[in-house]
Amino acid sequence: MAVRLDYVLKETGSNLVRNLTLTLASLLTVAIALAFVAVSFLIGTGINQSFLGLRSDVQMFVYMNPGATAEQIDSVSKNLQSNPQVESVKFLDKEKTYAEFKRLFADQPDFVESINPEELPQSFRVKPTSTDADVVSAVGTEFENMTGVYRVEYAEEYARQVQKSLSTLNSWVRLFGVALIFVSVLLIFNTIRTAVFARRREIEVMRLVGASNWFIRLPFMTEGMVQGLLGALAAAGLTWGFDALWKRNFVNQVSFELLNQIKWTGGDLWKAIIMILVVGAVTGAVGSGIAVGRYLRV
Amino acid sequence: MKFVEHTGQETVIKLENVSKIYKGEHMALRDATVEIEKGEFVFLVGPSGSGKSTFLRLLNREETAEKGKIYVAGKDIAALPGYKVPYLRRNIGSVFQDFKLLPNKTVAENVAFALEAIGRPKSVIREAVPQILELVGLGRKEGSMPNELSGGEQQRVSIARAFVNRPLILLADEPTGNLDPATSVGIMKLLDRINRTGTTVVMATHDRGIVDTMRRRVIELDRGSVVRDQARGVYE
Repeated sequence: MAVRLDYVLKETGSNLVRNLTLTLASLLTVAIALAFVAVSFLIGTGINQSFLGLRSDVQMFVYMNPGATAEQIDSVSKNLQSNPQVESVKFLDKEKTYAEFKRLFADQPDFVESINPEELPQSFRVKPTSTDADVVSAVGTEFENMTGVYRVEYAEEYARQVQKSLSTLNSWVRLFGVALIFVSVLLIFNTIRTAVFARRREIEVMRLVGASNWFIRLPFMTEGMVQGLLGALAAAGLTWGFDALWKRNFVNQVSFELLNQIKWTGGDLWKAIIMILVVGAVTGAVGSGIAVGRYLRV
Repeated sequence: MKFVEHTGQETVIKLENVSKIYKGEHMALRDATVEIEKGEFVFLVGPSGSGKSTFLRLLNREETAEKGKIYVAGKDIAALPGYKVPYLRRNIGSVFQDFKLLPNKTVAENVAFALEAIGRPKSVIREAVPQILELVGLGRKEGSMPNELSGGEQQRVSIARAFVNRPLILLADEPTGNLDPATSVGIMKLLDRINRTGTTVVMATHDRGIVDTMRRRVIELDRGSVVRDQARGVYE
């Protein structure tokens, strides 16, 4: 049996208007929660993009001579991999090194032009089992004297500290974001449950006359979806504002040494906005479907 | 060779040794076996708590029985999957003591709601609603709100809603319980009229006067057991 569209729209509209205050209240809270979700996503992305060349888990670089032979490289690689103090190794060949180089100096095309990819040293990115500076340098000296090795570089203590605190911050921000998604789901769920409770008589009558469960559920689900979407739209506006403020106040401002590293692109902003729109719509619809479910048990 | 008694009517409701137990101990219905044919008018009588409402609620699967089998229109309703229960209910109209009308809808909207809810097209609804309201004697009240109507009128709306889909069976749980005797007579005339169209009516009642006047089949329940099943019966 097809559920008539005009019926669903009529019911959805009248319910949203009937519970206007409740709708508005939950809409605002959902908007704020989702805005935080988007902002935490942006900050997380920004943190990940800062210090591009240096991943938090890489503590040491072993650079090879530009003219190092394949055997020499192979031998260093084997030694690194069999070293008990080394947790993981990643090799960057000329191609990858050049790609990374181009990304790091994207704002200086002349400089990039002047470099021949052949001249770039290939390197190993090494993550030792311990972050302790003594352990790291012990591993480093072991390889410094191998043939074909140009030199070993360590992530500076300062950079490592920054990296460490940023990645801690990042995981907190992400956790916060997930918690807020959960909060948004509960808020929408609760609003719909109230709406369902207010209409339990209607649902009872619908069941008595033989309305199918989907017929009863659908208007509530579209109602939840519309609420979620409206909340997400408001949140998108808030996120947009946050984006503008952040860019004006922190990005490329010398006085904010740490914060000015955290930046994201317009594409990331769109990603965040689309994400919260989807989260809002889906959680609204699903939450309502669940909220009405307990009244449908036969 | 075994001869099956043939009455020329089909059985629409059949209970075979049905028991309903609440909370593991209280027997709301005890080993009940009843057969009701198409077009019958049956009164369920007995004191409060004797199992009349349970009897009715079992028929449209608002409740399920712990023991025994229940057949409606030849189908074992316990075997119906959940998604098919609504289709069972489309064949069963229900009327209650408290009418269960939606207070924010007009008379016509309340009746139309029953058709909307099962996805009937608008053209059908536009035709059927005035027709059924005429039948129950509320042709001029279609725009009224339920709270503007008398109890008897409200019950007529609820009967119209139950019957607008022309169900096979009409279940009525104390439909005159909230009405004065004169109004009750009107409601019973209406139910009788619906019964004459071939709809099977099962009505739980406390109303001795009605049962004794109508002289229809009477099934008496006492603490869940069927203690009497009498054609053209009386209240006691």
